[in-house]
Amino acid sequence: MNEKYFDKVILSHAKDNVATAKSAISSGTFLTFSKDRRIIAIEEIPFAHKIALRRIPRDGAVIKYGERIGRAIREIKPGELVHIHNVVGERGRSEGTSLKRRAHRA
Amino acid sequence: MGCLFLCSAFGMGKMNFLGYKRPDGKVGVRNHVLILPSVACSNEVCNAIARKVKGTISIPHQHGCAQLSFDAEQTARTLIGVGKNPNVAAVLVIGLGCEVVNSSMLASKIAESGKPVKNLVIQEIGGSPKTIREGVRIAKEMVYFASRLKREKSKPNALILGVECGGSDACSGLSANPALGVTSDLLIKEGGTIILSETTESIGAEHILVKRAINKKVKQKILEIVRRTEMRALNLGLDIGKANPAPGNYEGGITTLEEKSLGCVMKGGTSKVMEVLEYAELPTQKGLVLMDTPGHDAESMTGLIAGGTQMIAFTTGRGNPLGSPIAPVIKIASNSCLYLKMKDNMDINAGEIVAGNKTTQEIGEKIFREVFRVANGKLTKSEIWGHREFAINRIGPSF
Repeated sequence: MNEKYFDKVILSHAKDNVATAKSAISSGTFLTFSKDRRIIAIEEIPFAHKIALRRIPRDGAVIKYGERIGRAIREIKPGELVHIHNVVGERGRSEGTSLKRRAHRA
Repeated sequence: MGCLFLCSAFGMGKMNFLGYKRPDGKVGVRNHVLILPSVACSNEVCNAIARKVKGTISIPHQHGCAQLSFDAEQTARTLIGVGKNPNVAAVLVIGLGCEVVNSSMLASKIAESGKPVKNLVIQEIGGSPKTIREGVRIAKEMVYFASRLKREKSKPNALILGVECGGSDACSGLSANPALGVTSDLLIKEGGTIILSETTESIGAEHILVKRAINKKVKQKILEIVRRTEMRALNLGLDIGKANPAPGNYEGGITTLEEKSLGCVMKGGTSKVMEVLEYAELPTQKGLVLMDTPGHDAESMTGLIAGGTQMIAFTTGRGNPLGSPIAPVIKIASNSCLYLKMKDNMDINAGEIVAGNKTTQEIGEKIFREVFRVANGKLTKSEIWGHREFAINRIGPSF
């Protein structure tokens, strides 16, 4: 297992740039990952939803389980909620020209 | 500690169970008499017989006629597979007489398993009441026969466990699914078989399964079933994400199909992929096997039971009550909030992993023990509530 359990979030893999809320996190909450690494939730993160751990540029990969789960459709700041308002999947979508690239990656 | 317990309790070949040995050598964990309609037209006659005779189950469905070629074949394969399932002691097939999926053909194919099978045709007998009367008489004899069968000591390598997820949330991939993956690895270690289905929910995670393919043929087949599922939507100009993930998955924090898939495939554990089956096909290998089914849970579970699955372990984050007419379905909640809210439907709480009270390994072992309790006869909540959802996957239009 690669998961790491912190006080308020679960980090499923060391490569991830998002973590999952273990319970609802209110805006302004500090999340501590190590002595010198902590981020602040800049908006409310509902239970089981994802919070950005790092800045994710527009078109940048969103990584969970150490794998690419989608693409940022705008810049996402650390501490922001990461969900369908700022991320799109790249598979099974009719406009997904990325299909060929992704399907053959395996 | 986990290992010590495992070695003492699981590793010494003590994980036997008491099952019903069938004439074809397979072992059932339940002992149903099945009243099987070959076509939708026979549904109510089957229901009437099942209402009258205790110990019987009818599985009404919408199919069996006005279907062509591969679609009719898939329906027939499904009905035959369900009839042959080791949880079924005897089968009464009821046909109308003019349908595409012929009832005497179904009966003779099911009878290859050696179990008692009879066939009645409504048009030949002369209507509903006469068929019901004759059916009740036969069903009574079948129940009488089945009730005298005894459970016998059986080895775990006779078990096929289907692993399913439905109404997932973003916890599913962090708690219930990886825990069920531990269970899968344990059962495979005991010589058993795991069937991982729901091809739609492999899209974006197929590279993980491909890496574990036992050979090149299996690798290519994994890629083929994923690609053809994805292309089915794309060729219609449609976005799978409008239906899968479903609205409740999004509300539960799942953002994309890839995220859902990466969580979904964890249910199969870490073993090599031995084989890839078409919908409702029987496995020829033991260990981890894939079956090409849609993400639709009732259709997927119907494919699994047609493939000989005796039990299904089903994870959920949003809450899902689905069952199966002939296989016990063990429900595993991904979060404690759901477990407490829908305790009437949930058998195991994997939410303790999210809370940090239990490890994935501990919950995986707990599910493993539950699988054997259920194999020995313990009822699951879905059985107690009479959940018997049955849905055959269609791959062609009606004509």
